[in-house]
Amino acid sequence: MLDDINKDKKHSSPRTKSSSISGGERDVDYVRPADIPDQELYHGHSFLTKWIFCQDAKVIGVQYTLTAVFTGVVGLILSWMMRMQLGFPELFPFLTAESYYQMVTMHGMIMVVYLLTALFLGGFGNYLIPLMVGARDMVFPYVNMVSFWMFFVAVVVLMASFFVPGGPTGAGWTLYPPQAIIEGTPGSGAGILLMLVSLSLFVIGFTMGGLNYVITILQARTRGMTLMRMPLTIWGIFTATVLALLAFPALFVSAIMMTLDKVLGTSFFMPVMMKAGELLAYDGGSPILFQHLFWFFGHPEVYIVALPAFGIVSDLISVHSRKNIFGYRMMVWAIVGIGALSFFVWAHHMYVSGMSPWFGFFFATTTLIIAVPTALKVYNWILTLWRGNIRINVVMLFCLGFIVTFVNGGITGIFLGNVIVDVPLSDTYFVIAHFHMVMGIAPLMVIFGAIYHWFPLITGRFLDEKLGKLHFWITFLGAYSIYFPMHYLGFIGVPRRYFEMYNSPYMPSTIGMNEFISIAVFVVGAAQFIFFFNVVKSIRLGKPSGKNPWKANSLEWLTPDVPPAHGNWGEKLPVVHRWAYDFSVPGAKEDYIPQTTPPSEVIEAEVEKT
Amino acid sequence: MTDPNLNKLPGGFKGMSTDIGSDQTAFKGVNWGKAMMWIFLLSDTFVFSCFLIAYMKVRASVVDDWPYPSEVFGLEVAGVPVPLLLIAIMTFVLITSSGTMALAVKYGYEKNRKLCGLFVLLTAIGGLTFVGMQAFEWSKLIFHDGVRPWGNPFGAPQFGAFFFMITGFHGTHVSIGVIFLFIFARKVYRGDFDTGRRGFFTTMKSDYVAIEILGLYWHFVDLVWVFIFAFFYLW
Amino acid sequence: MWTGIVFLAVIVGSIAFHVFTPWWWTDIASNWGAMDDTIILTFWIGGGVFILVCLFMVYCIFKFSYKENRKAEYKPEDKKLETRLTWITALGVAALLAPGLLVWNEYIRVPPNAINIEVMAWQWGWKYRLPGEDNKLGTSSVKNISDDNPFGINNDDPHGKDDILIESSELHLEKNRPVKILLRSIDVLHNFYVPQFRAKMDAVPGVITYYWFEPNKNGEYEVLCAEYCGVGHYAMRASVVVQDKKDYKKWLAQHKTFSNYLAEKFEQNSLKKAKIVKFNNLLSNEKSILKESN
Ligand code: HEM
Ligand SMILES: [Cu+2]
Ligand SMILES: [Cu+2]
Repeated sequence: MLDDINKDKKHSSPRTKSSSISGGERDVDYVRPADIPDQELYHGHSFLTKWIFCQDAKVIGVQYTLTAVFTGVVGLILSWMMRMQLGFPELFPFLTAESYYQMVTMHGMIMVVYLLTALFLGGFGNYLIPLMVGARDMVFPYVNMVSFWMFFVAVVVLMASFFVPGGPTGAGWTLYPPQAIIEGTPGSGAGILLMLVSLSLFVIGFTMGGLNYVITILQARTRGMTLMRMPLTIWGIFTATVLALLAFPALFVSAIMMTLDKVLGTSFFMPVMMKAGELLAYDGGSPILFQHLFWFFGHPEVYIVALPAFGIVSDLISVHSRKNIFGYRMMVWAIVGIGALSFFVWAHHMYVSGMSPWFGFFFATTTLIIAVPTALKVYNWILTLWRGNIRINVVMLFCLGFIVTFVNGGITGIFLGNVIVDVPLSDTYFVIAHFHMVMGIAPLMVIFGAIYHWFPLITGRFLDEKLGKLHFWITFLGAYSIYFPMHYLGFIGVPRRYFEMYNSPYMPSTIGMNEFISIAVFVVGAAQFIFFFNVVKSIRLGKPSGKNPWKANSLEWLTPDVPPAHGNWGEKLPVVHRWAYDFSVPGAKEDYIPQTTPPSEVIEAEVEKT
Repeated sequence: MTDPNLNKLPGGFKGMSTDIGSDQTAFKGVNWGKAMMWIFLLSDTFVFSCFLIAYMKVRASVVDDWPYPSEVFGLEVAGVPVPLLLIAIMTFVLITSSGTMALAVKYGYEKNRKLCGLFVLLTAIGGLTFVGMQAFEWSKLIFHDGVRPWGNPFGAPQFGAFFFMITGFHGTHVSIGVIFLFIFARKVYRGDFDTGRRGFFTTMKSDYVAIEILGLYWHFVDLVWVFIFAFFYLW
Repeated sequence: MWTGIVFLAVIVGSIAFHVFTPWWWTDIASNWGAMDDTIILTFWIGGGVFILVCLFMVYCIFKFSYKENRKAEYKPEDKKLETRLTWITALGVAALLAPGLLVWNEYIRVPPNAINIEVMAWQWGWKYRLPGEDNKLGTSSVKNISDDNPFGINNDDPHGKDDILIESSELHLEKNRPVKILLRSIDVLHNFYVPQFRAKMDAVPGVITYYWFEPNKNGEYEVLCAEYCGVGHYAMRASVVVQDKKDYKKWLAQHKTFSNYLAEKFEQNSLKKAKIVKFNNLLSNEKSILKESN
């Protein structure tokens, strides 16, 4: 019966149609009938249900993106102020040590959690998952909507902490106790509590969304969409979401325990301590336990940001070099393998934390093992370029920028993962440079590339190429010249989280570099407003793009309406016949074959089996 | 679920790999909500594991004596101290409620509105009893024995901290479950799952699968209790 | 075209920066030259990979930029190439890891002739405790800390009595004698880091952590706290002076041992106490007088 409902027009082609898996003459275009009935959707009618409490994943995706970008701008402004202090100490009297540490903390937390995680999973995940797997929406749109509003409240709580007495927490984004919750650290009162509450809300909200993403990908794909035909974007987001669902619990638990330590005076993480000659009431807790919990979350978190970026960049590179992604299967296994391994490396952040030194051997080994699948992904990206037909447009430029910064940051990661090399370098500017390169700049490159790529789908118009190129070159060259020299500060031994170096014997040689870096930061930050201008301008005035302007294969470009309407697919769900990477297939007329094209329509093409 | 082809798919390990390799669904015939609950429970398992591992780590390394559970958790019945009495009853009630839940699911499959509703209600009452007894135990520990999250007369201060935090977190799970059980008992009685009445918030139809999903959650909460029981009362 | 040129310039620029950089690590003053060597090794291997990958990319930009009439190659995978790359990478990684682990193994094994030095961190400063003749430090606890006992040494531990207490932030070390730094903190996390020695480790309240090194160059070095510890973190400096044995002994002799310290305090206290006793006697006399008059 369902068979009839979902019968595709193409099936009434003259070829014989077999209706069961076995037996009968096989139809080249045959695709198994639908497992499940078509999804029923809630269609909002008022402004409130259509745009605010909207249940359409695409709108939710845009909501997530806008909120995340807003926090990102806050994080950017904070980084400006930090660099004002570091580049020109004592020039700005309003920058005190307290406020500096508060800015460092809020900047770090915002960038990692509220910008990148929310943007990749909440933003791109919501927008792209249903479209790319051929679903009408997320499986539970209502829960999905609640997920966004939880995130929104989490952001409000986080921002509120700027306005409470004592200001936001200045504990560093790692929030290490005991320091995080006792006096001596700025914002150790209301600030840290709001941070912990906000993180807990974020985790709860994210869990609602994350379950949706996972089940949509596992259980709501369209006919013909096997797992091994999914675009790598989906693989990246899927794996990252699974990581998040398993890693955030550790953050959640440590947030609860720290809150209790703060509010009720329990001693989970708090040992005996003496402050100003007085013993505090705490006794017997373990600060290192917190670090284990935090990094059990924190390391997978790095990959929660990186894996979607890996996936997206693979697709962008493939589309814009008109060539299939090289070694698709390897890419999938690498994503999954990196994801799995990422749960066994957390203590590489704790080599000098005072944990048992024997852990060093284990975690250095696992960490360097992860480098292998990661390197393979890099090879496959550049091998995709090899003998491609590369469009050097803004999207591709960002991809190339990603490769350079990611490889650079990946290599410095090998420095830090190798336990003995980490000893002199940990907690210095080398670390700052490393993670900004690899999880700051590289994913941002992908985000920008992805926005330039999918903007025509979301709005039906192109972003301006000229402005885009200007934006790219300033951002890429600027960011690279910020972070590349910064490694060398780390070699000198300049520690991170230093408000100022004073008259340290190291200082003279670093003054010039710090001034240069700061100026580069102001320029790069300002360049982002070119991008915002471009977006605002192009929404109304951009060149209309029409359908599938990049000649891509994946489903999101094949919707009946552009931009896609609620329910995505109109009357009939698409039927998938191939993977998303049939570019430049020998024998085919065009240099791309969309996923919905049945084999009978491209008989001459010598498609390899996938 | 009604797809006749499903019956022809191979079973066992081979079946699993072909399912995963196939299009549309990785778990054939598994309802979306049910799959979602499974993944949620996996995530929740990590939450409880983090709690329990933290507890084990601290308990193993703390210097002060750890309170002796059979004394702390004992009750006096007619002047005779009986160790672990209350907790045994609590555990019994919770396990029993798992049984009634299983029956509710069974009658749900049979679309037996009345019996299904009855057993959901019984499960809810079992859960409520459990929460009530837990409240009693907490108040005994707090008001009678002087155990506080930040300290206690028996030994290591972390004892109270972990006890209240973990049983509290579990109790919250039970309470949420109880609330949902009551709501769904009402829904079943009203015949929502037979008439296809739409949900108040989601505006979507639902059916007896909802009871099975609720059952998954409830069994999970029971299972977690068994671990908490073992780690706190028997260790 | 010029895209490729700019990317090429970035790579060449990076190499040039690395070669000509005036910013480089401080001259090493400890035995941990092996750490520097592992870093150099990583630079060669890692840097090589970086350069190769990026040059390959630049080559592709030059060679395969879009042309209307060209069709890209169709080649989904190449098992042989992929396997080969996997092995080469694995080999490279192993070549980095193995020496790293060997040096780490040295790092965590303290030579038996090392002198034990306690570094006690607090918000925001450092104090040190050196062992007496026995090269053993007395056990200690934060709970014992008082005006009379700034390090919280256990009074009934005989090893503690001859410990030398240094309450200034300047620590002296003997050249060419290994030291085992035992780290304590009485409040939050800190980290005792001297860039010239390369080594570091967190001080964690509640436990004692350690690391070791052998200073081998005379001079005065700055100590930086390398674990965030609150607003005063950046100002939590101290200094270490490495000197020859003779000078070192001279410096050592200037400092009090714990028993000296106790004795001194005892004297002061007994003076105080004597006064108090007198005062109390006066009081009770007065009281008894009052009583009598009642
Ligand atoms: C415009 C670009 C950015 C600039 C100029 C910038 C600048 C800075 C500066 C100056 C610090 C403080 C270093 C210190 O005092 O130790 C910092 C810390 C940090 N940044 Fe950024 N940042 C940028 C973007 C990002 C992005 C995109 C991320 C996302 C991963 C990020 C993550 C962090 C983290 C996690 C910290 C550490 C915070 C801590 O020490 O607690 N930053 N950044
Ligand atoms: Cu990590
Ligand atoms: Cu510090």
